[in-house]
Amino acid sequence: MDIDDLLAEVTADAVPQETRDLQELTRGWVAERVAPELLPWPDALMERVLERVRKQIELVEDQTGNMDPKTNFKLIIIQTELERFKFLVRSFLRARMKKVDDPMLLSPSEYQYLTAHQALLSNHYSSSFLSQFPAALQRLDDTTGGISMVDKPDEDAAIFCRALRDVGEIFVEGTDQRFEMKRGDIRVVRWSAVRTWVLSGDVELI
Amino acid sequence: MALPLPPGLTPPEIAFLCEMELVTVIPRQRLEGLELLGGSLPPLNPPHRTAMPLWLALLLKRQRRANILPPPWLSPHSLAAILEHETDHDDTFSPPPRLPPAPSSNALPFSAPFLSHATADAAPDALPYHWLELGEMLLEAAADDFEDPDNVRKLLRGLREVRMSKLRKRVEDLQAGGGVDMKGVGGMEVSEGRAFVTGVIDNLRRIGASLEQQRRDRDREETADSDDDDMSM
Repeated sequence: MDIDDLLAEVTADAVPQETRDLQELTRGWVAERVAPELLPWPDALMERVLERVRKQIELVEDQTGNMDPKTNFKLIIIQTELERFKFLVRSFLRARMKKVDDPMLLSPSEYQYLTAHQALLSNHYSSSFLSQFPAALQRLDDTTGGISMVDKPDEDAAIFCRALRDVGEIFVEGTDQRFEMKRGDIRVVRWSAVRTWVLSGDVELI
Repeated sequence: MALPLPPGLTPPEIAFLCEMELVTVIPRQRLEGLELLGGSLPPLNPPHRTAMPLWLALLLKRQRRANILPPPWLSPHSLAAILEHETDHDDTFSPPPRLPPAPSSNALPFSAPFLSHATADAAPDALPYHWLELGEMLLEAAADDFEDPDNVRKLLRGLREVRMSKLRKRVEDLQAGGGVDMKGVGGMEVSEGRAFVTGVIDNLRRIGASLEQQRRDRDREETADSDDDDMSM
């Protein structure tokens, strides 16, 4: 460990948890908006963020009605920031909902959404038209003819990503593509070729 | 409701990200410190400079409670030098600002918009990730805090054109495997180029899919063969 590492550690520790959480939530939101498949649910992070949002809403409710112009202006700032956080959280959840499919990666409420939504859909389909089809044509997960009815995320979709640490050589399977990725580099590459590094936090999606 | 948008951020979402960039503000009024969700805001004491997120700086600016100090790279002199570099180097974007020392392996690495690349102490010679959005937002809300806003506007437009034509030229090297080097690209440029660039790569991949599959099978056989050789040795 050299002096730069030591300095970096000191600065990283000096950054308050709130700011680190904002960086992490922002990164998670961008990643979920860009990645072709669902990413793991950030359990601890969301718990901290939602708890803070809840407290801040309480504070705003407490202070509304206070006519002092100074407090009033402070409230405007606090509420503006609160709305920004709510937008981040909401957009993050909605981006995930679009992709909700793998129970291993879901939060409990997302799992509830998945099962309820699927039950509604299949009830609706069968009562409105499927029940009138011959039994052989009623399935929703048919794979005859080599084509599956179940949509899968395109794991090889091209994405823009940035290295947060030196990750060494990236190799794109089935092609001649090999390249080095150093901290700060930005590349357009297949999701499948960098997924491992995105999940480990060494590469971020942009 | 699930989000009905295609993958990638929209321009307003990029602007939202950019509003998290720290900028340097000269307050004109006192304000007590505040505990915000993203960290605490120190008390404002005119005329002491304070760094704060752009969204807050714009809020104070619109109410004439503060002035914003544009980052040094947003001066006509710096922009002209960067524009010259962009025009001289046909195939790459101008290098992004230097990164802070790498974090230790267990610390969270920070990236744009959390790198302080838009404060008054930012490097004067490089365009950060949110250069275009930041420049336009500051010119829109705080033109009177610039010495020569018209010139800055003109240079930003020049930079945008040179760099967009580079992004378009990059399309010629696109391959099915991807891997295109985009170092130095900006947030708004990614947003504008994404659908086209990724669309071309994805479609090239689909066209070459069967060839690629053959190659994958062959590679796998070769590794299997060499494993057999090892066994016989």
